[in-house]
Amino acid sequence: MLRNKLLFHPGQVVSRVRDVFAICCATLLLSGLPDATCADERQSASTPADIAFFEKKIRPLLVAKCYSCHSSRAKTLQGKLKVDSRAALLRGGDSGPAIVPAKPEQSLLIAALQYAPNAEFEMPPQGKLAAHEIAALTEWVRRGAPFPGAAAVPAGSPEAIDFAQARRFWSFVPAQQQPLPDLKQSDWPRQRIDHFVLAAMERLGLRPSPEIARAELLRRVTFDLTGLPPTPEEVVAFAQDPSPRAYEAVVERLLKSPHFGERWARVWLDLARYTDRTASWLYSTGQAHLYRDWVVKAMNEDMPYNEFVHRQLATDFMPETGPEDVPALGFLGLSPNYWKELQLPSEIIKVIVADEWEERIDAVSRTFLGLTVACARCHDHKFDAITMKDYYALAGVFASCRIKERPTIDETLYAPVREALLEIDKREARIAELKKKKPLPQGEIDALTGEIAALRNDTPHFDTPLASAVVEESLHVERKGKTMQSGTKLVYQSQPQDLRLFIRGNPNRLGEVVPRRFLTVLSTGDQPVPFKTGSGRLELAQAITTDGAALAARVLVNRIWLAHFGRGLVTTPSNFGQSGQRPSHPELLNDLAARFITGGWSLKRLHREIVLSATYRQSSRDEGARSETDPDNLWLARMPRTRLSVESWRDAMLAVSGDLDRTMGGPSMSLADTANQRRTLYGTIHRREMSTMLLTHDFPDPTAHSPQRIATTTTLQGLYALNGPLVLERSAALARRLLGAQLTSDQERIALAYTLLFARQPSDRETQLGMEFLGETSSAGRANAWAQYAHVLLASNEFLFVN
Amino acid sequence: MQLPLADLLSRRNLLRQSAAIPGMLGATAFLSQQSLAATAAGTTPAGCHFAPRAKRIIHLFMNGGPFHGDLFDPKPALAKYAGQRPSGTDLVTERPTGGLLASPYRFHPSGESGVPVSELLPHLRQHVDDICVLRSVHADNPNHGPALLQMNNGTILPTRPSMGAWFLYGLGTENEDLPGYVVLCPGKPVRFSILWNSAFLPASCQGTYINHSSIDPEKMIPYLRNTKWNQETQQRQLHLLRQLDAEAQRRNGQDQVFETRIRSMETAFRMQFRASDAFDLSRESQRTRDQYGKGHFSNGCLLARRLVERGVRFVQVYYGNSQPWDTHSNHNETVPNLCRAIDQPIASLLSDLKQRGLLEDTLIIWGGEFGRTPTSENGNGRDHNHHGFSMWLAGGGVRGGMTWGETDEFGFKAVQDRMHVHDVHATILHLLGLDHERLTYHQAGRDFRLTDVQGNVVHQILA
Repeated sequence: MLRNKLLFHPGQVVSRVRDVFAICCATLLLSGLPDATCADERQSASTPADIAFFEKKIRPLLVAKCYSCHSSRAKTLQGKLKVDSRAALLRGGDSGPAIVPAKPEQSLLIAALQYAPNAEFEMPPQGKLAAHEIAALTEWVRRGAPFPGAAAVPAGSPEAIDFAQARRFWSFVPAQQQPLPDLKQSDWPRQRIDHFVLAAMERLGLRPSPEIARAELLRRVTFDLTGLPPTPEEVVAFAQDPSPRAYEAVVERLLKSPHFGERWARVWLDLARYTDRTASWLYSTGQAHLYRDWVVKAMNEDMPYNEFVHRQLATDFMPETGPEDVPALGFLGLSPNYWKELQLPSEIIKVIVADEWEERIDAVSRTFLGLTVACARCHDHKFDAITMKDYYALAGVFASCRIKERPTIDETLYAPVREALLEIDKREARIAELKKKKPLPQGEIDALTGEIAALRNDTPHFDTPLASAVVEESLHVERKGKTMQSGTKLVYQSQPQDLRLFIRGNPNRLGEVVPRRFLTVLSTGDQPVPFKTGSGRLELAQAITTDGAALAARVLVNRIWLAHFGRGLVTTPSNFGQSGQRPSHPELLNDLAARFITGGWSLKRLHREIVLSATYRQSSRDEGARSETDPDNLWLARMPRTRLSVESWRDAMLAVSGDLDRTMGGPSMSLADTANQRRTLYGTIHRREMSTMLLTHDFPDPTAHSPQRIATTTTLQGLYALNGPLVLERSAALARRLLGAQLTSDQERIALAYTLLFARQPSDRETQLGMEFLGETSSAGRANAWAQYAHVLLASNEFLFVN
Repeated sequence: MQLPLADLLSRRNLLRQSAAIPGMLGATAFLSQQSLAATAAGTTPAGCHFAPRAKRIIHLFMNGGPFHGDLFDPKPALAKYAGQRPSGTDLVTERPTGGLLASPYRFHPSGESGVPVSELLPHLRQHVDDICVLRSVHADNPNHGPALLQMNNGTILPTRPSMGAWFLYGLGTENEDLPGYVVLCPGKPVRFSILWNSAFLPASCQGTYINHSSIDPEKMIPYLRNTKWNQETQQRQLHLLRQLDAEAQRRNGQDQVFETRIRSMETAFRMQFRASDAFDLSRESQRTRDQYGKGHFSNGCLLARRLVERGVRFVQVYYGNSQPWDTHSNHNETVPNLCRAIDQPIASLLSDLKQRGLLEDTLIIWGGEFGRTPTSENGNGRDHNHHGFSMWLAGGGVRGGMTWGETDEFGFKAVQDRMHVHDVHATILHLLGLDHERLTYHQAGRDFRLTDVQGNVVHQILA
């Protein structure tokens, strides 16, 4: 009987290095094998249950416990045995076949795992697996050892995936305008959209809902396009406009409103994990709001979406934009940073840096392409045709740029400011020293203070804002001294870098060099062309909207649809891969995406078509018959009723009480400050200390890309509606506005309140209820009674929801 | 931006998410689940995968990282080799350390089990037969931030949900009038709200942070008190709200979500009074107050008892602002004070819960984000040590009077029955009746778990 442990694992000498590796590997495992719980859909021979069992229980075990010595990835293959495919297991190694399918008791592998007394081996040599793990492997062999193929091939080898086949996936194929379907109710459609929506309804025997009442339509479209309620004047004007194109005129007015950009920028900022501030110990300079304001402006100017993408990733490479456009880079410049303790060994810091690169890849690939490329950090993607090489080809781009603030003027103009800032620093340090002296050398301090003031005043462009951006510098993590204990230094170099593939995602185990380039499956040629210009950001951005155009357009069109209808045509808005949902209306999405591209990537055109459609103009009233056939309203036989976002709710409270400050842009202000009467878009977003008000109301975590908000109804929200300082203050302000109006009766004041809040007149019963409430409280004083009444209206469902 | 009504009833949304898991009813903090408490004894409650041993958890978090060698894991070899660096002490931690630093504190075998406990914890010692000391816990990173994240969120990445959020996602809450997950800290622990965030789980699963530096309930809970209207006015307002809402529904058609929201306001109305009660320590007898002792941590423990008593699922009590247990210098001068501040309150909490019959289904967790080095930092301090450290569990289905696992002879590294933080999480979930491999949430292309692809339940410590 042979005990081959040491023979087979000569490298198992305990050393300090290994200890650190243990840390790294353990850390990696957290993020490193992300889809070990995914099933592989490319397998056809085994049952889905077998595949799920394999992917959940078996593959992670094999990868974690066996691959380092027994796979194509092993540096030194032990015993000539590979366990990374069924064929390899059947073929076996030096000792013969490792498994006999369906016969665990005859399988060498199982005997070795059991540390059986008569077994030739005890595997894994580091220690026996847990009983349930052995049981799982035994069960797997009993099931015939189903081994889904694709992910078993050597990491990062593109031959493993049939890209020609993969490119035929629904979201990757070119977008094409679709023929309009035949309809029974052919007089219903107003836009191309409606043909597709109605065709789906007719297939299911559903009929569209009647058109919504005019006033409600105005409230719907005004909130939808600007995030604000219509004013009483707008309500009256629309009600009285006899033109058959009155609604079209309203839509044009709203699309031109500067508030349009504010409302739709926020949709983008959720995706971009926008924050104004971050934890104090993390590197964060530059003025975040410049990026927010840039997005608002881009939305208002209807910047073509392809250009919008290019500029956010690479405006500094675009000759047609100048330094004033640098804030566009905030998408990357505001990425979350992770703390790097430089006293730690570089092996650990490399993992943290690799985590940062993964974050960029995750945010960029999900936002712009609806692909979860980050899943391919440690192995080829389990669902999609994305290889590890694809991952490292993109990681190289982000490894070649550095987050840094940049001036919004030409660097040469700004150079004197940098010098002046250094001079000011010196003087401030000197003043700090002087202040410790006794007696205080006031004269000297005054002189220095004067010099600082002069530097500030006399240096041209001194007050130029610095944007949160990136520069072309590649990061290299190096050991500081000779030993691991000496800590780490971060070295930045001006040349871009191609990364070497990290074997199993471990930056301390390097594979082959992967040139920076775009994703293979989205590239037109067989092999994507390596990026040549700098880090490759511009080439990446261009590839997204050329090679990746169809996918990028589908993803974007779906996001806009989602924001209008509360549900995407694809319900996984940031996952258009195999594991994402298929579109409910595939022809419609195809048609919209195709025309979005040929129509010059215009967002406003898309919005216009949606809000002018008959689909959009339906009533939201839920009638039994429709919801029985289609309880989730998937087929849009009515308009979904939607709840205002926290931003719109707060903005609307300020607007109806007459105090909304409509100033646009600029630095953020705390939302806890009731003197802050600006739109919520301008409230401070802080990654570490989120505003309690936002936290309470489903605002997404600004640390990560948020594909979609999830609305909840909670008691803490109830407390806010009852007691929130803003609600109380707005109640008093609304009461003042109602009491101050030039009206002759309280009934008229109630009517004004209803017009302001609900864009309609109250019913007699509603007026009566209001009058009774106000009448009962005469003793408390008129102002108080009205404030209490106003509070009820502001807290009401009708104010919070949009029909 | 407007939100879809279909998602408003997040319970419905959660059901969709967990549709693949039979019997797995994710529920959120305030929607349900009185039914859980009402479920007949002996059957598996709705949210669980199997019968739970613990229904609620109190996590006493010694932020900064205590040294196990002073408290629960005696190491005589430290005195023997004091000042030296024998082989096995060359592990990398955050900072360079020197020779071994002996612990000056004596240990006593305690209780019937004889588990040794430090003289620094004379009151807690008396409860050792209810306590299971985990001596072989280890983590991945020697910095506070990542280690805090790993202990709370299962990973060092700041983008994953906290374990408390997972608990609520899996089990819902037992009391609709209080938050299901409360974090008490007299100040702010390092990393702050990320440690109790909900990340991609529904926002209602997040912890409610309460700074109990002041024990006035109105200062602790946001928006708890109306500064303008009295109770009677609020009642009249809610009455009008209901009437107007009925009118609106007549006009616009009925919608379940309207009713849900009005109910949430009515619940909030009641919570104003219930929460005042739950958070009001002045309602405790002087005798009880004296038993728990004075100070923030004492108050935290007593608040925790009041909260779990009222059905709050998970209460974390952070020892203090920032990282008080982070004794890089003057370790031996600081530790006795820290221990004095926790000894009596924890002992009182355990006996109080026992007396009330709550200890058997309330799990107590004690520990930091990591331990400290047996080697000295600058002669009188100790550095962070993630290679091996102690935590302890008590109550809620845990075997008392035992130790699990071992560190090496200096207490530097876990060597026997090593228990990674993932294993701690898997075991806690198991005690709650949740299978850590089945408690999943699908997003960004795959199923996420608190334990990622790791974690083993340590069955040997279960009662």
